[in-house]
Amino acid sequence: MSPRPRRIRLEDWTRRYAELRAAGLSEPSYGGPLERHVLDGDLRLPKLLYDDSPAALRLWNFLLTEEDRLQAARAEGKKLVGAMKDLGTVPVMAWSLPGVVAFYPDGAWWIPCVMELSAGLLAVADRLGVDESFCPVRAMLGAFLTEAHYPIPDLLTCNAGAVCDDFSAIAQRLAGLGHPVLWWESPHRRRPDPGEEAVELPGGFTAPRGHVALVREELARIREALGRLAGLPLTDERLAEGIRAANRVRRVLRELRDLAYTADPCPLPALEMLIAEMLALHFCSDREEALAVLGELLGEVRGRVAEGTGVLDPGAARIFWVNPVADLSAMNLLEDCGGRVCGTDYLFSHALDEIPGDLEPLEALARMAVADPMTGSAADRAERICRDAARFGAEAVLVSRIPGASHCATEGRIIGDAVDRSLGLPVLEIEVPPLIDSVRAGISGRMEALVETVRRRRRA
Amino acid sequence: MITVAYSDPLVPPEWIRAHGLRPRRLRAASVARSPSASLTGLCPYAGAFADRSAAPDLDAVIFTTACDQMRRVFEIAREAPRPAFLLNVPSTWQTRAVHAHYRSEIERLGRFLESLGGSSPTGEALAAEMLRYDERRRRLRDLAGRLSPRAFARVIARHHETGEVGGEDPGPTAGPGAVPLALVGGPLLLDDLFLFDLVEERGARVVLDGTDTGLRTLPAPYDRRLLGRDPFGQLLASWFGVIPTVHQRPNALLYRWLAERFAETPVKGILLRRYVWCDLWHVEEERLREWTGLPVLALDEGAEGRARERMVQRLEAFLEMLA
Ligand code: SF4
Ligand code: SF4
Repeated sequence: MSPRPRRIRLEDWTRRYAELRAAGLSEPSYGGPLERHVLDGDLRLPKLLYDDSPAALRLWNFLLTEEDRLQAARAEGKKLVGAMKDLGTVPVMAWSLPGVVAFYPDGAWWIPCVMELSAGLLAVADRLGVDESFCPVRAMLGAFLTEAHYPIPDLLTCNAGAVCDDFSAIAQRLAGLGHPVLWWESPHRRRPDPGEEAVELPGGFTAPRGHVALVREELARIREALGRLAGLPLTDERLAEGIRAANRVRRVLRELRDLAYTADPCPLPALEMLIAEMLALHFCSDREEALAVLGELLGEVRGRVAEGTGVLDPGAARIFWVNPVADLSAMNLLEDCGGRVCGTDYLFSHALDEIPGDLEPLEALARMAVADPMTGSAADRAERICRDAARFGAEAVLVSRIPGASHCATEGRIIGDAVDRSLGLPVLEIEVPPLIDSVRAGISGRMEALVETVRRRRRA
Repeated sequence: MITVAYSDPLVPPEWIRAHGLRPRRLRAASVARSPSASLTGLCPYAGAFADRSAAPDLDAVIFTTACDQMRRVFEIAREAPRPAFLLNVPSTWQTRAVHAHYRSEIERLGRFLESLGGSSPTGEALAAEMLRYDERRRRLRDLAGRLSPRAFARVIARHHETGEVGGEDPGPTAGPGAVPLALVGGPLLLDDLFLFDLVEERGARVVLDGTDTGLRTLPAPYDRRLLGRDPFGQLLASWFGVIPTVHQRPNALLYRWLAERFAETPVKGILLRRYVWCDLWHVEEERLREWTGLPVLALDEGAEGRARERMVQRLEAFLEMLA
């Protein structure tokens, strides 16, 4: 039997890395010891706890070298597409074309945390009049202006319409600064009216056919623009192959989530799972490698589940987590408080579902885009959260408020009421700023209280 | 008569009237005593509108998706025991697809109005209402510049409430050498009208009301030659993709409108009416400053106790600086 997997600190990884190397660890080109990223400015890393597997090492190295990949792609003459406010649609299309690399400028969301504000991105946003009343995605403005975190893309797309005001405003500011943006519309998703033609969406909701038709036309414009950029038409065949490739990633992720969120003891920490989920959105600038990284992680988790081992003690309180956290260390904190993540809605549950493979490709992508939880009502989102929380056997739901986010003012209560009504589970709402250090004690106190509530309910 | 309330300028009141119902574009008087307005993270205007829309003098309410705050506050407001409707208003306007979508939404709104007891309008009935509103809007435009800014703001507020125009004392004329200012931004509250007086007392004058409740959000005049043939098509053509709003993407129409107005009526400073947590207007503050090179003062409105007092102090300091 292998040694019990653990969560370890960065300094432990230094020793662990040496041991793994000595034992013959083979790594991809972006591999190496994790602590080197601290020298690159990722100052938060020493304060996090990591899974100690080679698969997790690869995951972290893959995540933290995205900028190098983008620079290399640019140097090779590949075309870069920045897909803004679009969780999982345009990247699937862009990756369907040879010579095109899509990335996710919104990912700058995490830079203030990972670099502990040292990159100054929020200060740049402040100077542009985008202060802390906006969500952390305002760091994206700083990333564009400093050009220090990713190259300026050759094509910038942005989803508009039923999106958060934060992103809509920030992308408009970016456009006003001279970055041309190709906007595409998403209508607010609603239930079809009686007698209105309905379309079933991935994830189980329905929408009026007219909504899907609108998004499909919008995606047809994106298809044209991508084709022009690549100098090659984005044919249905290419799109269908792109969808198949995206679905391979989503299938691996689904199995990973099913195992990681249900097995006891918890086989993989919440932090690595958060990153794994993010990979499925945009592939971290290398779709095939993203699949390989997730595949290795899945192999590790399968092995742990088969051996009955995990990174936490058995019986940790099973918490369903809603919304991504601006400070990654919040995921560690829940585990330190006796909880574990068992199910998530990080704003993009639609991008975890397989894209229908039996439909004409643009129709399939349009249906997936219309299923985006953020274009629908908080009540719909709550319904899916309840469904997933029940499926994963959650014992409580934690809604992490995103500072400044336009959807957070009202959604917490709606989600909380729905969870209470349909599952009778306790709900905790906390706000997680980009660095939680100053509020750590308060957050951990509330997490401990939630865990205690779960334990009390077990005893009752 | 059944009263249908709304707040967004993209809701055509003549469409409601043509269904035999009374449209009423609501303006909250203030955000101070509104429970929803003080929810952390919620635009106080959206919150106050939601609270006001639950009052018993209204039979139904229309929200729109123009901003995320209104879209989401609809979910809370629909819990009140009166029908509520969410009109999907696209942010982009450049494609046929979004025009068709707005059309289908206005048609859906029509079905909602019928469900309230309204009747589906004939083409003639719709055209007649459109002509009536067109004429009132023409009078409204005529009055601009002939009334004092405060008097004109009152006329518009009354027009929003009742559809009627006129009956206002012209108010005082500008003092010699008054510093011309533009007022742009989100909707004015009824309690905001004192701002016009305050500005004038300090030797300035609002020569342009570019707020969401000002002339900017009037639809384009109808083409009367086409009205008889296709009134519904004319309605859509004058409303969608024409009214410059902050939520459009890109919001180039808003800046084009401002450029044209500033060319006609030069101003020396800009007052930006914005609500706490309103990202859409908030982000325009610095851009307006860069784009015009003019001093810009954000008049922030929040629901907490001293917000208004602070706003007045800042306005006074700004006017002193310009004087
Ligand atoms: S975190 Fe929320 S508010 Fe921020 S960009 Fe994402 S969806 Fe918008
Ligand atoms: S003021 Fe801003 S946030 Fe409030 S309703 Fe208007 S556009 Fe929306």
